[in-house]
Formats: sequence, structure tokens, C-alpha cells
Amino acid sequence: MALRRWVAETDLLLLGSVLGLCTLGTLAILSATRSPESPWGLLPVRLAHLAVGSVLLGGCAALPLQAFRRAARGLYGVSLALLLAVDVAGHERLGAQRWLQLGPLSFQPSELAKLSVILLLADVLARRPTPPRNLREVGGCGLWVLPALVLVFLQPDFGTTLVFLAAVLGMLFAAGTPLRTLAGLGGIGLAALPVVWRWLKPYQQRRLLVFLDPSLDPLGAGYHLIQSKIAIGSGQVWGKGLFQGTQNALQFLPMQHTDFVFAVIGEELGFVGTVGVLGLFWVYLIRGLQAAQRTPEAFGRLVGVGIVSTIGFHVLVNVGMTVGVMPVTGIPLPFLSHGGSALLVNLAATGILLHLGRRRSWSGP
Amino acid sequence: MSEGWAVRLPGEERSARRIAVLAAVFTGALGLLGLRLWQVQVLQGAYYDQLAQGNRLRINRLPAPRGLILDRRGIPLVTNRPSFSVAVLPMVVGDRSRVVSVLSRLLGIPEAEIRAKLRAAPPFALVRIRRDVGIRVLTTLEEWRTDLRGVAVIADPLRSYPYGTLAAHVLGYLGEISGPELERLRPWGYEMGDLIGKAGVERQYDRLLRGEDGEQVVEVDAAGRPLRVFRQQEGRPGNTVVLTLDLRLQEAAERALGARPGAVVAMDPRTGEILAMASWPSYDPNLFAVGISPEAWRRISGDRRTPLVNRALATAYEPGSVFKVVTGLAALRTRAADAGSTFFCPGSLTLGGRVFRDLRAHGRVSFRSGVAQSCNVMFWQLGLRVGPIPLAQMARSLGFGERTGVDLPGEVEGIVPTPEYKRQVFGEPWYPGDTLNMAIGQGFTLVTPLQVARMMAAVANGGQVLQPRLLRSVLSPEGMVLYTSKPVVVRRLSLPPEVWAAIRGGLVAVVEEGTGRAAAVEGVRVAGKTGSAETPRGRPHAWFAGYAPAEDPRLVVVVLVEHGARGGIAAAPIARQVIQAWKHLYAPTEVAAGRP
Repeated sequence: MALRRWVAETDLLLLGSVLGLCTLGTLAILSATRSPESPWGLLPVRLAHLAVGSVLLGGCAALPLQAFRRAARGLYGVSLALLLAVDVAGHERLGAQRWLQLGPLSFQPSELAKLSVILLLADVLARRPTPPRNLREVGGCGLWVLPALVLVFLQPDFGTTLVFLAAVLGMLFAAGTPLRTLAGLGGIGLAALPVVWRWLKPYQQRRLLVFLDPSLDPLGAGYHLIQSKIAIGSGQVWGKGLFQGTQNALQFLPMQHTDFVFAVIGEELGFVGTVGVLGLFWVYLIRGLQAAQRTPEAFGRLVGVGIVSTIGFHVLVNVGMTVGVMPVTGIPLPFLSHGGSALLVNLAATGILLHLGRRRSWSGP
Repeated sequence: MSEGWAVRLPGEERSARRIAVLAAVFTGALGLLGLRLWQVQVLQGAYYDQLAQGNRLRINRLPAPRGLILDRRGIPLVTNRPSFSVAVLPMVVGDRSRVVSVLSRLLGIPEAEIRAKLRAAPPFALVRIRRDVGIRVLTTLEEWRTDLRGVAVIADPLRSYPYGTLAAHVLGYLGEISGPELERLRPWGYEMGDLIGKAGVERQYDRLLRGEDGEQVVEVDAAGRPLRVFRQQEGRPGNTVVLTLDLRLQEAAERALGARPGAVVAMDPRTGEILAMASWPSYDPNLFAVGISPEAWRRISGDRRTPLVNRALATAYEPGSVFKVVTGLAALRTRAADAGSTFFCPGSLTLGGRVFRDLRAHGRVSFRSGVAQSCNVMFWQLGLRVGPIPLAQMARSLGFGERTGVDLPGEVEGIVPTPEYKRQVFGEPWYPGDTLNMAIGQGFTLVTPLQVARMMAAVANGGQVLQPRLLRSVLSPEGMVLYTSKPVVVRRLSLPPEVWAAIRGGLVAVVEEGTGRAAAVEGVRVAGKTGSAETPRGRPHAWFAGYAPAEDPRLVVVVLVEHGARGGIAAAPIARQVIQAWKHLYAPTEVAAGRP
């Protein structure tokens, strides 16, 4: 009975797409991390993440939005504290300080910050009687989230900084900010580019330059781009078969279980697989946006837009990177890339989307 | 609260529209990605699959041993010895910074240098970091092998010059191929990291010596662990080059020259074969075998005494009195003089108001004794009678002012001046004083010891201007003769026998009773000419150029001692020692024939 009501209320398409993506991701991670010495690879860890994530998903789907709204500032404060901790005492890996190590567990505060920034900004924007009308008002809203942005940029994590900007822009847009103002923001952004460039670390600069010409550094930054295309392209239409990827098995593709997991899909499941993944993401994003559209009150609507913008941006940049139309930015693929913090936060966010998207009966919000 | 699709407030309406726009944007972007995937996977899929295969297959070059260089009797002058190099396969390296720092500490090379080498190499190539590593490094690497992915130890035979500095300028040395060289030579199969000859025979005959590297196609995993051998093609070792040098005579020549800057050339006037070529200061080519360090290279190439220069052919000097052979021949040919001519030498010559002084007054001299005593006044008179242009022509006929064509790199042409030359280069007309200078080998004239040797050989063999050479034969790696060199006559100087007889008579007299007495050897009649060439700075260059035995010449020797002052004192004794050694080796039982 309760089940039937649940089925009637829940956006099964959205849920189904997430399930599909998580499953494909698990298979890809298994394929990418198994070896003769370790036949299960990172599967156990991934399953553990999924288990905890499912609980989070269910929990967030059940919570009323008000709970999130009330917790927004507190959550944001915690995020800032954790980000500060990372910048100061964080574990450095791959040239960036992003992780906090707590015993055997590592945790990436920037993932939590993504969600908390969305919640906070949605709250700030929703309190206003009208959307921000000019740059000054936008700035006033933006000031709230600026600390998080700066702390992330200093890690240095340029990719995640861009994610924040994407979420902010998406939310401002959906909130009704006049296009003129948004254009003004864009102008400021362009003008700031040279300054930003100088703030970038050499390896980040190189990544951007190499994107324009991978042969500049075929052994370093260009290597990933080149190898990724080779892996994906060699899958052709039907793929080489699950667990049959040679590039992957012979470990020619670096970071194949994290940032470049899409290349594993491409190699093993071919065009059919890659388009399938993109299709699942499309369903997820559209259903998410529809859910946001249906939400009458502003806070919920903006949270939905923020979440979808964030996830969508991840997908576009990550997949774009693997096929060589975007530079290497260290942004993972949601639900597929291996990574506990990201998976948990994304599943929690999906719970919120499910909550927004439920078909309400007349009996209440 | 309103139901999902009920009436919305205007703000909501705008918001809803905008969300629809976002949906369209995402749809469009995903669509574009889909198109890109179509392009990469469907349209270009086969191409990438091929690249993927390439990842799996590694092509190993099996380096071919370089050919040996032997002297004329088959004694190895240049060989190879086994050694090991440490190399890196950049594509496979796991933790690059760790590998770089470990190798830097272990091999004693700055990290920046290692990084630069890795950056410069193509992605699938093996980059040699350090050649000829010792056993300690080898065992350490073996211990750490699993820790250092992408680091390999390869067998890399090294060039070895067992005789050190002996004949260094002739043999040359190896070095890593440079960018411009690589561009030029790639069509012949040269690749980055190859060692090629940079000087001497190593360079001149590099393609013969090189051999062909073999190829082994191996399937590997990303750790570089070979899984199986796909295909193997054996290479071919390089050919053996046999030189005309005689090691024993070379040793004698270098010993005789000692530590005096200059050159010695010993040549066979019948064939043009070079039996010995010495140049001092010299260097040890073994320094370069491993890959010379930048400081050592700077030291050697910056050395003011220029040890890398082969003074026998790469520098041109004022010839001084050895040029009088040219003047004499020119005069004899134009019949400005003959064997019976006599001249009066009061010790000086006045021309155009200027007085040109000789070393001393020789009194009345015959042609023969004028040569023997190197009387400047006589030759000035001959020079004036002949004129600068016929003088230059004779010089050119004898091979001055042009490269001899010897099979070594770096040869210079020297200068044979003419009035035209002076006008072009200095913007001044030719004065009679210039003719005087030219007649006695001073002025603008510049020659190399090798050119002088060739001239002497022409005198000795009756007018054949030969091309000197160092290559005697080429052998295949199995020892089969692939090629034997033959004498090359560049030019024939056709002169009546009296002319040859006259000049030769003078040259014999030089050693018997003239300025070249110090070159006389017991049991062999030696002929030749001394020279003490004034130089703009420092003492004159000392020359001796001669041949032996005078009646049937089989050896030409030219000695130059830079700033040696007097040819008869500094250069002639050296020639004597060389001729002595030659006699001991080639004509031990001969006795000098009676006077001609």
C-alpha cells in the first residue's frame, strides 16, 4: 500500500537514471581497478559508498525542504571551516590539497561545499522580494558565497571553482536576473581572465595550453588527452566488451577509475555505451529541471536548478575532457567516477531532487 | 499550496521559462557531445583502434656494433667495449618526480638535465640518461627495479680508443647527433640519441662504420613488462675501415714531434697513401666515448692551444722557403733559369728604392747551391723574372690554394695570391715587393702541411699531383673485402726531365750540404727543403719538406713546428727521426746508392 503510493508519487525516471548511472559506474570501476593481485579492485569500497549513499538519498528525499533551508547557514559554516582546514592541514595529492584524512577515510570538503553553497544562495535569493536587478545586487548575493569560492581556488582547484560559478550563474538565471546584468557579469569575468591566468599555477596553465595543442606536452598533460581519445575511439560502435579494454587493462590510461572513467565506458561499451550514459544523464537533468519548474516556492526551485546546473556542468566538462573538447580540469563524472565524498553528496542532492519532483497529492506539500 | 501545473505568478512564469531555457541548453550541449562521440568512436574509431594497438607494441632497437678502424697492417686503432646505459621510457614512468630524483642522486646528474632529456624525447622512445654506468649503479637499480617503473638498463657498447691520443685527429671521436645533423641525416635511418662521428675518420666514414640496428617488436603492458616478442629482425654490425696509416710510423712521428705545436705528415708519393699524420696539441678521444661532460667540452674547445684542430690540414701557414720549390719550378719551366744558371748574391736586393736584405751574402751561387743555401736574393731574381701570375699558376698546378680532397673533414684551402686577389681583398695594386715576398713564400701565401706534402710528392714522382687518402680498404663484418682504394691523380704536371732533374738536384744538395743537413739519415739519401717562415707575431714557423730515398722516392715527410724559428734546426731533425723509423720498418737492409 505504502509502496504503491510511493511508486505513484516518486519520479521513477529520475530514480531509474541514477540507478543506471551508478551501476554502470560500478562496473567501470571494477573493470578499471581489477588486477591479478586484486581481482575485486575497488569494488568493495564502491559498494560501501553506494550503501551509505542510498541511505542519504532516502533520507534527503524524505526530509522537508524547510529542514534544508534552516540548516543552510550552519552547513555553509561547517563547509568553510573544513575548507580552511584543508587549505591549512590538507593532504596533498596530485599537486593539490583537497583531502582531509581521518584515519582510513579521506574526505573532500569541496564536495560538501558545492551543496552548501547551493542551499545558501537559494536561501539568499529566495528571501528577496525581487530577483537581483543589477550588478550591485548580484554582488550582494554573491558576497555570501565568495569565501567558499576563494578557499577552493586557493587549494588550488580551478575546476571546482568553475563549478561554483556555473551553479551560481544557473541559479541567478533561473531566479530571473535581467539578462543585461548577467551579460555584465560575463564582461567582468572576461576582464578578470588575465588576472586569473596569473594566479593559476604553472601546471594548471599548462593544462589549458595543452588542451589547445596536446602535442605541446605529449608525455605530461597532453598524455591524458591523447590516451583518453585513443581509448574511447578504439571502442568504436559496440565496444570491446566489459572488462576487455586493453588500454585499461594494460594501464595505459591513467586515472581510469576517477576522472577518466568515461573513457573506460567508451572503450568497453563503445558508442552504444557512451550515448547510453549521456542519455541517462539527459533524463536525470531534464527530470530534475522539470521537478524544479514544478516547485512553487522559490527556495526549492532554486535549489533544484543549482543541483542540476552543478551536475550538468560536471558532465559536460568531464565528458568533454575525455573526448578532447575541453581541457583537463580534474572534475569527476557524477555517479560514475570513484570518489566517496562526491558520490555521497551527489546522492544526497538527488534525494532533494526526488523530493522536489514527487507528485504531490492534494493532501499537502 | 498550488498543484504542480496550476496557475503561476508572473515571477514564477519567468522563472519557469528560464528553466526551460536551461533544459534546452543542456540538451543542446549533450547533443553536441553525442556528435563528438559519433565522430571519435564511429567515424575515427578504426584509426584510434590502431593507435591503441600501437600502445601495446613496443619497438626495441637492437643497437648494431659499430665497425672497427684498423691500421694498414690490421691492428685495431678503434674498437668497441661492452658497457651498460641507464635509460627511461617516459611513457611508462609511474611517479615521474620520484624517478627523476632517484636517478639524479644515483647517477650524479642534475634533475633539470634529466627532465630536459625526457621532455625532448618522443613519447614511445627510450631515453638514455647515462652511459657506461658502473657495477654499483647496476646492482642498485636491480634492487630498486620494482620501485622504479619505466627505468631500464640496456647494453650499449662503447667506443674505445686503446692508443689514447695517438692519431686522435685522424681517428676523430663520437658524439650524440645534434638537431641540424638529425634533420639532414634522418633519411639514412639516423635517430635521436644516436652517436655519430663528429670528427676525423669516425665522421668521414660514419655511414660505413655504422651498421644497421636490428628491431624487436615486443608486446608490453603499461609497466613496460614484456609479454611476448612479436617479431625480431637482426641488425648488421658496421663495416671495418682499414686505414693507410702505419701505427708504428705514426708512433714515431708523434714521438719525434713531441710536445711542440705543429704537424707531421708522412705520405707515399707513388700512391698518395698517408702513412702518418700527427698534430700537436692533441686530445684523447676516449673522453668523448661516454658522452663528454659540458665542463670538459668547454675546457677542450675553449683551450687557446686548440687541441681539436688538425694542424696538418685545418690550418694554413706561411710557407716560407719551402715555397721556393714552386718558384724554382716556375723559373725552370719558363726557362728563366736552368741547372747551369748562376746568380750573384751580395746579401741584398734593391728594388724601387727599397733594400731587401737576405740572411747573408752567398756570393756567386749556382742554381743547385742557391737552393741548398736557400738564397733569398737568387729567388727574388727568379721571382721577378717569372712574374707573379706564372708563379701563382705554378703554385696552383702543384695543388696550393685548393683542398687536397683528403678523406677527412675540416680541410682548408689556403691562399695563392695574385694581383687580382690583392685588389679584391685589400683594394690595393700589386707591388713588385709583393712578388719578392711571394717568391720566398712570404706575403699573402698560406699553405697547409698536407698541401706541401702533396707538392713534394709531385716533385718526387715526376709531376703527378695525387689526392692524399687515408682509406685503404673496407671490410665487411665477416672480413670480406668490399672495397680497395686506388690512387687518384688530380693533375699531371708535364715538365721536361731536365727540369725535374734540376730541382731534385737542388733538393738533394739541401740535405747533403745545405740548410737541411740535420735531416740526413744514415743509409738513405734524403732530399728536401727547409723553411723558416716569418709570421706577423712571434718567431718564424719552422718547416722541413722532403722525400727519400732520393733516387727512388717511397716516402714524403713534411714537418711544421709552429714558431719553431729555424727549419733546419727545429723541423729537419724531426724529419730525420721519421725517415729513420721508416727505413727501419720498410728498408732495413738498404744502403744509399752512389751520388747521382
